[in-house]
Amino acid sequence: MTIFDWQNELNRDGHRVVISGQPIAMHCHHYNINLQKTLEETLGAEGVQLLYRSAEETNYNSLQHLFNQYKKIRTLKSKLEMASLLYQNCGLGIIHFRKVRPTSAYISSTSSHHVTGWLAKHGRRETPGCHFTRGWIAGALEVIYQHPLGFYVVEERQCKMKRDEACVFHVKER
Amino acid sequence: MAIDVSKIIHAVMEGSKIRESKGIIPLFGVYLSLFSVNYYNRLSFDFEIKMGQQREAEARTLLIEAAQECGYATFQGIRDSWEWEQVVTPMVENKEDQILGFVAVAVAFGWGDLAIEELDPGEKLVMRASDSYEARGYLEQYGLAKSEKCYMLRGVTAAFMALVYGGDYPDSCFTFAAQEPRCRAKGDPYCEFVARRSSD
Repeated sequence: MTIFDWQNELNRDGHRVVISGQPIAMHCHHYNINLQKTLEETLGAEGVQLLYRSAEETNYNSLQHLFNQYKKIRTLKSKLEMASLLYQNCGLGIIHFRKVRPTSAYISSTSSHHVTGWLAKHGRRETPGCHFTRGWIAGALEVIYQHPLGFYVVEERQCKMKRDEACVFHVKER
Repeated sequence: MAIDVSKIIHAVMEGSKIRESKGIIPLFGVYLSLFSVNYYNRLSFDFEIKMGQQREAEARTLLIEAAQECGYATFQGIRDSWEWEQVVTPMVENKEDQILGFVAVAVAFGWGDLAIEELDPGEKLVMRASDSYEARGYLEQYGLAKSEKCYMLRGVTAAFMALVYGGDYPDSCFTFAAQEPRCRAKGDPYCEFVARRSSD
């Protein structure tokens, strides 16, 4: 199923880079991981929360914009497909929505920009570290189920940054 | 100087549409991600707010240093990449052209309409942007700022000079430091970044 023509959605608007008209920036793993490490080391749990909330809110708004633009994407299945496609085409990795229900979900990721970047720069860590992806998932499901921001809480039960086989996320109502 | 900026932008745009099977974008020697500028702005500016007035200077320093380290590693990777060798190296006639190539890549990445205003080889780089995503984002979300806000571009400006004139990689990251005397976020007509050799 072709959900949307990805290559035509990534464009330039003068000096700005846009996806479906929304301005984006290309950043590499050095910057993304440096920001994460700076926030975690300086603010601790509050920094982790800031990473999560920023990804949640931004993805919520981005997907809302896309769903408004692509009115034919109406079913849960097609919305989840579009979200995974966006994740993949933004270079964020691979995400599998395994069991998704309005009150809970089980999601796994076998490849991720943040995992690849973290391992390349710092090697294995002792605690789960995919705060960006947790927030991204929360924002995606909140917009898909038309809930307000903060409705879901996403926990990472396994993480490839700890050398687990995959990143595994559990979603529940807050 | 013979750097064709449009050629570099074209290469980045085309390359950024290529995905390997795991959803990772390996381009110009780094792993790229494409994500809303609002995410980066919220991280930076909320970090500054959460650090509070007493730690405001520390917050700025951390954000600038994070960007400088990133710019240093990123553009070293870019300079060593196959794509740079194919697309940019044939246009590079001297050291100064490398800086022009770096700036073209930064523009291609969507960081702003950066242009070199002055380049004193080995000593000073002045860059300007009339539309950086940091200044625009701050203005849209918080209104007029009391101080400059383009922390990422400030760090990156210093990194460009460190890579070209600072000495051997990876020991020269902080051989240059940059200021942002003008910023659109505080009402100036453009953002200006000035990198000079570090005093210490």
